[in-house]
Amino acid sequence: MSHPHTAPPERRSWIRSSQNVAGGIFLMAVAALALYLTRELPQGSLRSMGPAMLPDWLAYAVAACGLALLVSGLIKDGDAIEPSALRGPVVVVLAILAFAVTIRPFSLGPVSIPGLGMVVAGPLAIIIGGYATADVRFRPLVILALSLTPFCMLLFGDLLNLPIPVFPQSFANLFPASWSQKAILRATAAVLALAALVIFITGRHRSSSRIDVVDESGIR
Amino acid sequence: MGDLFANLGLGFSIALTFQNLGLAFLGCLVGTLVGVLPGVGPIATIAMLLPITFGLEPVGALIMLAGIYYGAQYGGSTTAILVNIPGEATSVVTTLDGHQMARQGRAGVALGIAAIGSFFAGTVSTVVIAALGAPLTKLALIFGPAEYFSLMVMGLVFAVVLARGSILKAIAMILLGVLLSTVGTDLETGQDRMTFGLSFLSDGIDFAVLAMGIFGIAEILRNLDHTETRDVVHQAIGRLLPNREDFRQSYLPILRGTTIGAILGILPGNGAVLGPFASYTVEKKLAKDPRRFGRGAIEGVAGPEAANNAGAQTSFIPLLTLGIPPNAVMALMVGAMTIHGIVPGPQVMTRNPDLFWGMIASMWVGNLMLLIINLPLVGVWVRLLKVPYHLMFPAILMFCCIGIYSINSLPTDVMFIGLFGIIGYVLLKFGFEPAPLLLGFVLGKLLEENLRRALILSRGSLETFVERPISAGLLAVAALLLVLALLPSIRKGRDEVFVE
Repeated sequence: MSHPHTAPPERRSWIRSSQNVAGGIFLMAVAALALYLTRELPQGSLRSMGPAMLPDWLAYAVAACGLALLVSGLIKDGDAIEPSALRGPVVVVLAILAFAVTIRPFSLGPVSIPGLGMVVAGPLAIIIGGYATADVRFRPLVILALSLTPFCMLLFGDLLNLPIPVFPQSFANLFPASWSQKAILRATAAVLALAALVIFITGRHRSSSRIDVVDESGIR
Repeated sequence: MGDLFANLGLGFSIALTFQNLGLAFLGCLVGTLVGVLPGVGPIATIAMLLPITFGLEPVGALIMLAGIYYGAQYGGSTTAILVNIPGEATSVVTTLDGHQMARQGRAGVALGIAAIGSFFAGTVSTVVIAALGAPLTKLALIFGPAEYFSLMVMGLVFAVVLARGSILKAIAMILLGVLLSTVGTDLETGQDRMTFGLSFLSDGIDFAVLAMGIFGIAEILRNLDHTETRDVVHQAIGRLLPNREDFRQSYLPILRGTTIGAILGILPGNGAVLGPFASYTVEKKLAKDPRRFGRGAIEGVAGPEAANNAGAQTSFIPLLTLGIPPNAVMALMVGAMTIHGIVPGPQVMTRNPDLFWGMIASMWVGNLMLLIINLPLVGVWVRLLKVPYHLMFPAILMFCCIGIYSINSLPTDVMFIGLFGIIGYVLLKFGFEPAPLLLGFVLGKLLEENLRRALILSRGSLETFVERPISAGLLAVAALLLVLALLPSIRKGRDEVFVE
């Protein structure tokens, strides 16, 4: 954090604390949205409160806080908003969306995606999400995805019996009819884990020196 | 007194069954893991692991979740001492002297005294919970809606006073949290409020979704902004057991820390967070040579660690006796209880005595386990710290997605953790603390319900809140606190406590 007090920066700027000004505007916007959304609901009376009474009071209070914050941001020095890269938030949200639309059948207007289950959604979330940082390297991410996914499949699908789709139905049809869902799940998990192991071993062979370097930087 | 022992006996007979011991162990292990890894907090983890407990007995489920919670408090101090990064918000203070001790080659002693202090504090607060449970439950039964409302207002005021940074921002966050809790169908009139016409919003915003977005995803985004600097101690950890001299220096701080932490923990409004800060300040004031603090004084580890653990445990009291969750973790416990058909509140103790006493007994068992599993496993935890963040966060991300999906089987829940993650990140950028928002959200529904009921009973007269003596007293305390916090001189003192 650079201190706005130590170095007197642009004194001309009438925004003394961009954090507070932005925060104040944000609060007032949220309050306005709440008031807009409840505009048609009855307020009721104190004796029998209507659905809109409390939300409206709260919205006015939030707006008042926002106004106070905005004013303080204009007349008092305070922290500025730290600059940030867009890469992290955008990529992480993309990864979450990728998971949400592939985990089970999803359709939005003309686009429709068949339910692919955890076996696709999990690795997608890991690999896309991994690109949120500049330190990304593809191979370790793939290994991570291929080893964590079978772990989660066994934990959530097999051990805990949670109703989470694990693989698409068309995939299950590839197996002989005598196989149970659980057997298919276990076989798939085993294949994925094996693939992770193979990639790990071959990768280690090729670039063992690189891994050591990364390990060191992780410690310091 | 005889009752107390009979009840504790019942509790232990439940906590010591093979299955519950196993669940407590698992919870403690996972909790420690979470506490050790910076960037994964107990709130996000419990939300993630909530579905795992669906298939368990209610007692077992709560024992495991409680284990995760206090395991995380323990694990957080390991990271604080060895890496100078507080694994949890409550172990910030431990970094000051704990890490200095580690630099002087006394990491083992610091870890040892932290574990022993925590265990002692855990033991005492288990007894405190058991002793206070019954009388507080009786008190709760004479509470009407007006008293409940005032109590929650007091809790929220505490949260404002205890929050870090600007008081105005903390108030805004609380109000925003309560506002968010009013989204969804109005319970009395059945009308949809602020749902944008979306059907999945008419049940309101799911607490687990909000918590995971604001604490899980937003935390990832924040960590991605800062390139991490980890400062693992390379010296040998050294002997773990403190010697006689260490004990002589730290037994009084442990006693004082336990008392401070236990009292603050009971307060609704997340008083537990203040415990370690308060204890550190007290020890520094009482020390013969305050300059030693910040340079590896063992008292600066022993006191706050004891306070931390005592507070973590006594914060179960408002939940178990009054049904009011004092912090976000406890709110998730409410979620877990509701899933199993248990309504938290004074009736839990009479209707589900096994659950109540079993959980209390399991806390002590869990603390003993933590002492046993933590000290020998320090090496494993240190190795875990070496996992680079660029591999850790995609894994956290996937666990969040799977966890939140399996709670309700709704893809929209998954999308909403992304949305709340962005909102939480923006709030952090604007200098708002997310914790008060979550607390406001947690108490919001109860607050509205009790406000309305009280007003119906009083035929619309707001005076009911000051006419009833208990309610008036609670509101007076709240008002006094708020005024005190706003007074310039005290405000300065409060800032100093947090700066230290």
